[in-house]
Amino acid sequence: MMRGVSKRIGSIKFSSLSPDEIRKMSATKVITADTYDDDGFPIDMGLMDPHLGVIEPGLRCKTCGNKVDECPGHFGHIDLAMPVIHVGLVKEIKKLLQSTCKTCGHLLMTKEEALRKAQEWADMDDLGGDAIDYRLLAKGTAKDASKNTTCPYCGQEQGKITLDKPTTFREDGHKLTPKEVRERLERIPDEDLPPLGIDPNSCRPEWMVLTALAVPPVTVRPSITLESGDRSEDDLTHKLVDVLRINQRLRENRDAGAPQLIVEDLWELLQYHVTTYFDNQTSGIPPARHRSGRPLKTLVQRLKGKEGRFRSNLSGKRVNFSARTVISPDPSLSINEVGVPEEAARELTVPVHVTKANIEFLRAMVKGGSNPPNVDGRYVPGVNYVIRTDGRRMKVTDRNAESIAEGLEVGYIVERHLMDKDVVLFNRQPSLHRMSMMAHTVRVMPWKTFRFNLCVCPPYNADFDGDEMNLHVLQSDEARAEAMILMRVQEHILSPRFGGPVIGAIHDHITGTFLLTHQDPKFDKQETLSILSKVKYDTLPEPVVVDGREYWTGHQLFSTILPEDFHITFKASICRNCPSCKKEDCDLDAYVKIRKGKLLTGTIDEKAIGSFKGKILDKITRDYGADASREFLDDVTRLAIGAIMVRGFTTGIDDEDIPEEATRQINEVLSDAIRKVSEFVQAYREGILEQLPGRSLDETLEVEVMKVLGRARDEAGQIAGRHLGMENSAVIMARSGARGSMLNLSQMAGCIGQQAVRGERLSRGYWNRTLPHFKKGDLGAEAKGFVQNSYKSGLTPTEFFFHSMGGREGLVDTAVRTSRSGYMQRRLISALEDLKLKQDGTVRNTADIIVQLKYGEDGVDPSRSVQGDAVDVDDILSEVLGDDAEALARIEEKKLAGYATIEKDLMETMEEEEVEEPEYDTGGGGGED
Amino acid sequence: MARKDTFNALQKRGVEAAVADKLLQKFTSIADIASASAADLVSLGLTEEQAADTLAKLGKSKKDSGKKAAKKEAPAEPAKRIEFHRVVKAKPVTEMEIRLNGMLDELGLELPRRVVVTLGERLEGTDISEAKIKEILKKAAEKYELHKMDANESAGILAAQSIGEPGTQMTMRTFHYAGVAEINVTLGLPRLIEIVDARRVPSTPMMTVYIQPEYRENVDEVRRVASRIEKTTLLDIADIETDIVNMKVIVHPDMSKLEQKGITPEQIVEKLNKDRRLRGQVALVTDEDDPSRKQVVVSSDEPSFKKLQGIVQATRDSVIQGLDGIERAILRKQPNGEYVIYTAGSNLREVLAEDKVDRTRTTTNSIQEIYDVLGVEAARNSIINEASRTLEEQGLTVDIRHIMLVADLMTNDGDVKAIGRHGISGRKSSVLARAAFEITATHLLHAALTGETDDLDGVAENIIVGQPVTLGTGAVNLVYEPKKRPKEASQ
Repeated sequence: MMRGVSKRIGSIKFSSLSPDEIRKMSATKVITADTYDDDGFPIDMGLMDPHLGVIEPGLRCKTCGNKVDECPGHFGHIDLAMPVIHVGLVKEIKKLLQSTCKTCGHLLMTKEEALRKAQEWADMDDLGGDAIDYRLLAKGTAKDASKNTTCPYCGQEQGKITLDKPTTFREDGHKLTPKEVRERLERIPDEDLPPLGIDPNSCRPEWMVLTALAVPPVTVRPSITLESGDRSEDDLTHKLVDVLRINQRLRENRDAGAPQLIVEDLWELLQYHVTTYFDNQTSGIPPARHRSGRPLKTLVQRLKGKEGRFRSNLSGKRVNFSARTVISPDPSLSINEVGVPEEAARELTVPVHVTKANIEFLRAMVKGGSNPPNVDGRYVPGVNYVIRTDGRRMKVTDRNAESIAEGLEVGYIVERHLMDKDVVLFNRQPSLHRMSMMAHTVRVMPWKTFRFNLCVCPPYNADFDGDEMNLHVLQSDEARAEAMILMRVQEHILSPRFGGPVIGAIHDHITGTFLLTHQDPKFDKQETLSILSKVKYDTLPEPVVVDGREYWTGHQLFSTILPEDFHITFKASICRNCPSCKKEDCDLDAYVKIRKGKLLTGTIDEKAIGSFKGKILDKITRDYGADASREFLDDVTRLAIGAIMVRGFTTGIDDEDIPEEATRQINEVLSDAIRKVSEFVQAYREGILEQLPGRSLDETLEVEVMKVLGRARDEAGQIAGRHLGMENSAVIMARSGARGSMLNLSQMAGCIGQQAVRGERLSRGYWNRTLPHFKKGDLGAEAKGFVQNSYKSGLTPTEFFFHSMGGREGLVDTAVRTSRSGYMQRRLISALEDLKLKQDGTVRNTADIIVQLKYGEDGVDPSRSVQGDAVDVDDILSEVLGDDAEALARIEEKKLAGYATIEKDLMETMEEEEVEEPEYDTGGGGGED
Repeated sequence: MARKDTFNALQKRGVEAAVADKLLQKFTSIADIASASAADLVSLGLTEEQAADTLAKLGKSKKDSGKKAAKKEAPAEPAKRIEFHRVVKAKPVTEMEIRLNGMLDELGLELPRRVVVTLGERLEGTDISEAKIKEILKKAAEKYELHKMDANESAGILAAQSIGEPGTQMTMRTFHYAGVAEINVTLGLPRLIEIVDARRVPSTPMMTVYIQPEYRENVDEVRRVASRIEKTTLLDIADIETDIVNMKVIVHPDMSKLEQKGITPEQIVEKLNKDRRLRGQVALVTDEDDPSRKQVVVSSDEPSFKKLQGIVQATRDSVIQGLDGIERAILRKQPNGEYVIYTAGSNLREVLAEDKVDRTRTTTNSIQEIYDVLGVEAARNSIINEASRTLEEQGLTVDIRHIMLVADLMTNDGDVKAIGRHGISGRKSSVLARAAFEITATHLLHAALTGETDDLDGVAENIIVGQPVTLGTGAVNLVYEPKKRPKEASQ
């Protein structure tokens, strides 16, 4: 067994095959178009000649004597009766014909010109040109040369070479046969080739016109035997059969002295077949088709595109030791863990080397066979294969388990089942960033889904509405070590994209901590113990005693999971940005202050622990490291679930109930708005509508109408919002950032608002109207997609239709966006993949060209940066000046003064740039997964 | 053919026929001759005088044609002389910073400027002892060292993912006002793609024109600048009437609009007269119905309706004022009281040449234009600004270092190259990497002709051949030499 990589391929050189080489490397000449004889044996000198390799098990290759998988296959060749042009090279041939003399073959350039060109090439070598530069240079040379109409060497007038796509050359309108073309190419001297971008050692120009065709080994084009016993040949074989057949007929006709016309027709047909054999999508000729009408997949098609060899088989490969199934949540798991179903664990194996230290352990395991029964409901790993020192692989079955276990020796490899604490890679497509594939440790569990902690949903962008994920078992110690150090979930809490946490609490976890800490509720002993039951803590905090009974406050409970010397101050998500902040005395309890690991005031919500925003999370990871952060997240999960289970939490349609009075007010606002809209329309019709600067009259009307309707929707939302207080579950979720927004709520309780397509009110459908329910030319609110109703009150048929129009746009948008951004990312990756940071701090590509002298101008890793800054200055100040409280206070004062001005500036700008266009609802949030 | 052309061209440039004839014995094109030395020419049998003269003529003519091209770009007015002065946008170094830098030098430590500036701000005016400050600096340098990226990190992939991943979360909706309701600007994913593609012209070019400090709070001044740069056709400021009976076109200028734009009827006449099709046919007359008003009459000199049609067209389209490409200019008051002009359409070169324009701040969203006018470094900054603004506007935070890396790569060899097969990816040194990206067959065939060698340095090609890539852990070797056990050592 090979371990590690001992050899490296240094470089790969590309060159063309000469006809001689093709013949020399050929194992057999192929002359018959038939493949198998009546008995089903391959015909000698046919396309399936046994010299070309073996595809049937049990047989041996006639060339190398190896069996299936050992013989790589051998090339054959076809001698073409007449030369034909290689389609892929027509452009080069044209270039060569145009820039060289038709009689003497020299480059159509005077010595001086040629010398100057040579200098250009030398300069380019000095400057380090890339592929495109050289190609352009060669193109320029060819172009300059082809401008000369007489040969400077022999004085021959040159004809005008044109190319009749795809493969016919003409000189001044007369057809040039491939034979003539080849003769001309032969005449080009070696020394004239380099300026044209051709290396005479790698490719002589006459090789571009084929006289011999290499026949790929059968292993490249295996035939399949169908159940019915019929053989089905590969597309390439089919194409080669065509080539052979026509080649044969061409030779016979030519040798028999058939009329020129017939020979030429056959020659052209041969050209067609050879052309399509290389590329079946050549423009200008019909693609060769299979009997069923399906176009054949020939050589170029095999290589090209997403499903081609390069992207599908070389840049990415299928692997063993992988599993895929549906995912589901499990808050009892750590963020580093993944729950693997027993069934999957028994298929996925880890190779373990038998050593003196583990032989007894492994022997016992082998003894259990490949499917050991669970003991006390606990999973017991078994063994699927044992590999002996001679490389023989023995399958472990119930029958032979015993004997294999006995024979186990040091040096054997045991492929044991997956068990707890194994390292695996876990992945969800699309893999857009490195956090889409992280290393987890295994927890083998019953049932059939992969399970993981909900905090890990955001980096994978996973939800549980049927998503599936992949799991890969690492097979070497090196890989496991690398995965544990570099890829483990806890190492990816901070995103390299913006230097904040990507892994963090979502949904119920946020609701849970919100309920636990908002307005500091009290819990009695039973509740407290229930909440803390899953959390690690040493001693219960000091209880608060009220009326002789012991209580614990939510803040105390949350503080149990904080590191002891933790300091932080920030504003929670529920903060409404009051003009003057009351700080600790905030009515909303939005001022979070933690001192010495104790939560003093404030509510823990999305801003504190949420993914992307969590400040506490951010600070813990940065200051205490990944391990502490992982512990914190695991504890938050358990604490939040504990808290939410004690209090109970539900939401339903009645959360959007608003009093009748409010409904009346909303209706009033809406009908007011609709009236205003019709006034605008009226004014527009009468021509008294005042035009906005830089807008046409029509646009002005639209802008005004949308402003009015947008405002109406907001107002309706506000009215509804006034009646939905913080005790409302839906509001709790929206305000704490757990799920949903106040906009969602106002659409459910108040009014859905204007529907828009392409940022405009709906206008298309029928002639001058959206639906036959309205008069032609109606510009009013209802006729152009204003939905007055709320989701709860229900939509009228026309409203429903309009709403679905907006919704459709959203769906189309998503579909288009994914493909466009996917392609952009592919291009970005392809352009940037080679860049790396060198030891000296520069960023270079693999050609060692410096792209940046210092990465990011300061060399700081974005994922280690403090929200983009190199170091946290204030943190350092308070750390160093910790004992000098006075100095610290002065700095603090200045800092706050600075902030105040910034905030003021910001607010002014915001006021100035007040959103003039109302926001529209483009489509409901529908369409999950 | 070619010879004759060259001969003619030479004569056009004032080279005598005899001289030209001699020249063409050796040279084929004018460029060749121009680049040759005088000695070369003398060797052809010319006198030295003739040679020098010819070269001067050709050299000069070359310059002339260059000027002509430049003129074509700017037909409006002859290029004005612009005075250049160095603009320093960075904050001046404060005394505290100098002190801090001195201490850093003394300690032999290094901190990025930004950190020094923040520290300077915080420490300014607080009488903290030097020892304490040094301690702070030491601590900061220590942290800075920790926060540095590790060697062999695949910084490129990190950047590509960090910019690509949020792409899926961006909107496709193209248009959004840019601080001004009247001007739409492409934003979101399409804009990001546009930036990365290094398109010549953005789909919605737009400029932000700042005015020099002396004038920027004066609405009238600013408005004057705006109307000077905004492209105004005759149709925008006048009614055009065609009098078929008398074969003339009558232009009724809208006086209020003229005033707004600061144009006089005389100017209209002047401008129209500049048009080749209208020259000499334009006259300013007083309106017969209303003597207080003036009208411009363009009369046809020959009684042909076709001609008249042409005149109508020419009159309508004639640009009376403004710069090419600036479709619309709108004023906006900023919070600090200054007025800024936003324009739809962009023409950086000429706007910068306008009076009263603050050249240090005025900018466009066309990266290519910035490259053409201000150079690569400016283009690089422009890519960074545009990309981060686009992302920010969508509410997505992406570290600026990632965007910088992309911008630096795009502008690495002196011009702006696209991310894609025509740009960076098509220029990779590895055949396999190029083949794996796009247009597979062409790359492979071409590699065979030129005998290219793939040195397997990059990522894609090493994945293809199935060996570790040269990044990250693949870039290093770990050698472990187990300590000899004491027993073995003693033996």
